[in-house]
Amino acid sequence: MTCKAVERVEVMRLVIHDLEPGHIDRLFPEQPLNLLVISPDAPIHHCVGCFGCWVKTPGACVIRDRYGDLGELLAKSQDVLIISRCCYGGFSPFVKNVLDRSISYIHPFFVNKNGEMHHRRRYSNHARLTVWFYGNVTEQEANTARGLVEANAVNLWWEAAEVEFYPSPKEMEAGCYEDRAN
Amino acid sequence: MKIGLINGSPKLRSSASRCILQYLQPLLEQDGHVAAAFALHNPELAPEDAQGIRECDVLIFALPLYVDGLPSHMVSCLLHLEKSLARSGKAPTVYAIVNCGFYEGHQAKWALNMMENWCRRTGLRWGYGIGLGAGGVLLSVQSVPLGAGPTRNLAQALRQLASSVSQGVGGENVFTTMNFPKLLYKLAAEIGWCRSARANGLKIRDLSLRRGS
Repeated sequence: MTCKAVERVEVMRLVIHDLEPGHIDRLFPEQPLNLLVISPDAPIHHCVGCFGCWVKTPGACVIRDRYGDLGELLAKSQDVLIISRCCYGGFSPFVKNVLDRSISYIHPFFVNKNGEMHHRRRYSNHARLTVWFYGNVTEQEANTARGLVEANAVNLWWEAAEVEFYPSPKEMEAGCYEDRAN
Repeated sequence: MKIGLINGSPKLRSSASRCILQYLQPLLEQDGHVAAAFALHNPELAPEDAQGIRECDVLIFALPLYVDGLPSHMVSCLLHLEKSLARSGKAPTVYAIVNCGFYEGHQAKWALNMMENWCRRTGLRWGYGIGLGAGGVLLSVQSVPLGAGPTRNLAQALRQLASSVSQGVGGENVFTTMNFPKLLYKLAAEIGWCRSARANGLKIRDLSLRRGS
């Protein structure tokens, strides 16, 4: 996990991805201090559904690998970009693992929102969620993926800004994130 | 028929997914089917599980909803199974039951769509799925006979599923909820979180802790 100046920077742009190092370096040739990149560069344990991040160490995962403080990192973010291989209309194992390990970002208590039950917020930041899927994606998978991202945004209390699909990571490099974001 | 009952919860011991399959198994066996249980708790798929799953005529997954989708370890297992089943040349029919901590079963819609998409990728026949809301109730009522009290809706969905399996038919996804009042479910959950926090030596206000602020 690349972590630049997390302590000093109040508001971050967060990237969660499953790409090889070469791709991410080409997508982000210059990484400003407030850009945090969560990469698959360390062993990550899967979420075991223990809810320790709610009732033992609230706000932090009890599994203390390098991905144990993801909820806190989400709380410091205003722009979140997820880059993931599309697997059956969902995220790849690594990216989904990061999201599963991030539920400390929200509060265990329930609230009603638009007539549905969702978790209460723990933090007050509003993030814009952008997702770039890559891979050979069928139309049905793309529809699932769009619905999934909308549902994620509702449950995380974020705004779903954009969902895009690319045949492969190489096509993403045609325009870097800086160009797209501005 | 040989029916694979696949528990997709990462929890090693008691889980709502296991509880659902325990309710379902007798319904299938009374129709003369042979049930084989598989527990996929980890991202790695054991060769003996892959082999056993390949031998089934029907696969029924029960798994929890994690962040609107499938738990990450299950995505890994499905990727392994996609290759493993494609090699086998067999095309079992697949059904899936996704249980939600939320009250509304329809919040499992996207996870069920992913299971259907997996079937298409793998060349399997998709039966249909069940999205079960208020799944948090299951562990506390697992001694209740199926069809009684809070399990009435679940019983209806599982009996329909067993019938569909026997007839070899598919259908539209079914979304249902445990028979438990929404307000009471919310209250019971909050009491449960508070009890757990206190058992861990925390104060109730600690549940709302904000890191880094």
